[in-house]
Amino acid sequence: MNFQVKFRILAAAALLAAACGGPKADAPVPAGAAAAGTTTNAAGAAPKTLTIAVIPKGTTHEFWKSIHAGAVQAGREMGVDVLWKGPQKEDDRAQQITVVEDVISRGVDGIVLAPLDDRALVRPVQDAGREKIPVVIMDSGLQGKDYLSFVATDNYQGGILAARRMGELLQGKGRIFRIRYQAGSASTTDRENGFLETLTKEFPAIKVLIQDQYAGATTETAYQLAENLLGRFPDVDGVFCPNESSTFGTLRALQEARLAGKVKFVGFDSSPKLVQALRDGHLHGIVLQNPVKMGYLGVLQIVKAIRGEKIPERIDTGVTLATLENMDTPEIKALLSPDLSILEK
Amino acid sequence: MTLRPKIKIQTVLNLVAPFMGLILVIALFSAMPDVQSRFLRAANLKSVATQSVIVALGALGMTLVIIGGGIDLSAASNIALSSVIAAYAINAGLPPLLGLVLGILTGGLIGLVNGTLITRLKLVPFIITMGMMGIARGAAKWIARNQKIDAPLTWINELMSKSPHPPWLVLAPGVWLMIVFAVVMAVVLRYTVFGRHIFAIGSNEAAARLCGVRTVRTKILFYTVSGLFLGLAGVMEFSRLTVGDPTVAVGLELDIIAAVVIGGGSLSGGEGSIMGSMIGVFIMAFLRNGCTMMGWPNYIQEIIIGVIIVAAVALDQVRHRRTA
Repeated sequence: MNFQVKFRILAAAALLAAACGGPKADAPVPAGAAAAGTTTNAAGAAPKTLTIAVIPKGTTHEFWKSIHAGAVQAGREMGVDVLWKGPQKEDDRAQQITVVEDVISRGVDGIVLAPLDDRALVRPVQDAGREKIPVVIMDSGLQGKDYLSFVATDNYQGGILAARRMGELLQGKGRIFRIRYQAGSASTTDRENGFLETLTKEFPAIKVLIQDQYAGATTETAYQLAENLLGRFPDVDGVFCPNESSTFGTLRALQEARLAGKVKFVGFDSSPKLVQALRDGHLHGIVLQNPVKMGYLGVLQIVKAIRGEKIPERIDTGVTLATLENMDTPEIKALLSPDLSILEK
Repeated sequence: MTLRPKIKIQTVLNLVAPFMGLILVIALFSAMPDVQSRFLRAANLKSVATQSVIVALGALGMTLVIIGGGIDLSAASNIALSSVIAAYAINAGLPPLLGLVLGILTGGLIGLVNGTLITRLKLVPFIITMGMMGIARGAAKWIARNQKIDAPLTWINELMSKSPHPPWLVLAPGVWLMIVFAVVMAVVLRYTVFGRHIFAIGSNEAAARLCGVRTVRTKILFYTVSGLFLGLAGVMEFSRLTVGDPTVAVGLELDIIAAVVIGGGSLSGGEGSIMGSMIGVFIMAFLRNGCTMMGWPNYIQEIIIGVIIVAAVALDQVRHRRTA
């Protein structure tokens, strides 16, 4: 009978050994074998390298990969380790709280966080403060004042750019949809407001048919919403979407309905598919943030703060409008297709 | 006579065996040079315990349901709806205690409806609870008007705080609730008529009915109890998030089911234990925590948990074949 139990234990041990061998081939179970050449934490080595946790809202979107690239680049230049860790499910508030708690437990030297919720993440950030871990917030705002600096796009300004482009494309008249991203997401709400307020003020003849429908977190939900809206108003003149997933989902719906190119379409954020759509004339403007710069400055600011320098409370990373005409200029190209090769190394 | 001591040794080993997985996971991360000094610190254990509360409360109920031969796919939606109801009530100015009670009752009500439909319509639990998964999730979004509810902060939000008030509690009140209810449910399952009837129904429903077990009543009851636990889990989710979020916990039902299955619960019914399920919960919680502390990418974590589920069940099967 003992035999079964032994078998069970052995198998479980083999399983776990395999598990820990997978991610890092050199992860030593016996402590003595610490490999010297690894660029990740040289545990116990003489001068302690700073470890900065960078916590995005998700890990699969192009946008977050660009932030990752910027963070890694800053990490290399400043000689600090970057620990990149997002919630396991994209956009899951509860899991992001867990990630923040876990990196606090690990004892990192600083945290750069893109909070999924302006309120739910307040408490974990306070916990970090209690452990004397400084926090810089990026991308989306957080209530309270428990962090050093806020590094983000001026999203309202992005909405203004999109509205002016839409007004120009439609020559000040027509009927449009303003598709929203997700309730409670501060950054996209600012874009949506910037868009609608500018449009109604500067182009009063444009009629906003739909202004309060949410595309939801995924491309799929955005696709469905756009499909339904286009079914109801196939003669719409323009569409605005406030982020990458809603832009791409809507693009797919427009293409399926054979309306791509006919409907004036202004979106937000870049991905290879959206760049192609811009080139094909299916998309008539993309408002671009600078996520590489955001990731870079996030890490840069926190390292400066840890080293005792004074850092500004608010850093704007800028917005730019890309169109078919300007998309091949070097500056816009770098924003449209950020260089992510640093992540492969 | 000669058999006796042998049986005892086996009983002891069987008792220890379920812990092996958990011990191995903890040992693994304790041996990692990057985190070893931190992993077993009280502060980290505290945060793992707090992170486990929601899945654990769900797993307490799910253990009953799975032992009884059922399944509850609506568990995560139930948590979301209950948390939204609690937040809604408190936001509307009701006293926090009432919000808490309403949240728990919402969960219980969904369980009651599940149980009633399953027994009256004589449909498989998979279908009924899959329908309820959508209904409850939709209701949560509807009540919250498709956004989160920013309820005012009250003592409810202290239930899941890692630095509890008063400090002599050491662990968050939610963690204590989890421990107390785990003990209570273990006793209920083992020593009460209700508990034994759940096993009887899960092993062979027809035989149980012929032996005089009131199967319909028992089933409705265990779905309701399970729902009440999910309601409590929902209130804890609200406590932790400080907002009522209708999109929270998507897919969490699978974590809850996985915990029960890792802990020896059989999806064909009649088997499982509270202790096993709690171990399942902690195996997954420690794995998540360890992987995050190590900075491993999420996909590694997902693969490891997937492998563990399959391996745990496969090993259980092997053990059974040998005993049989």
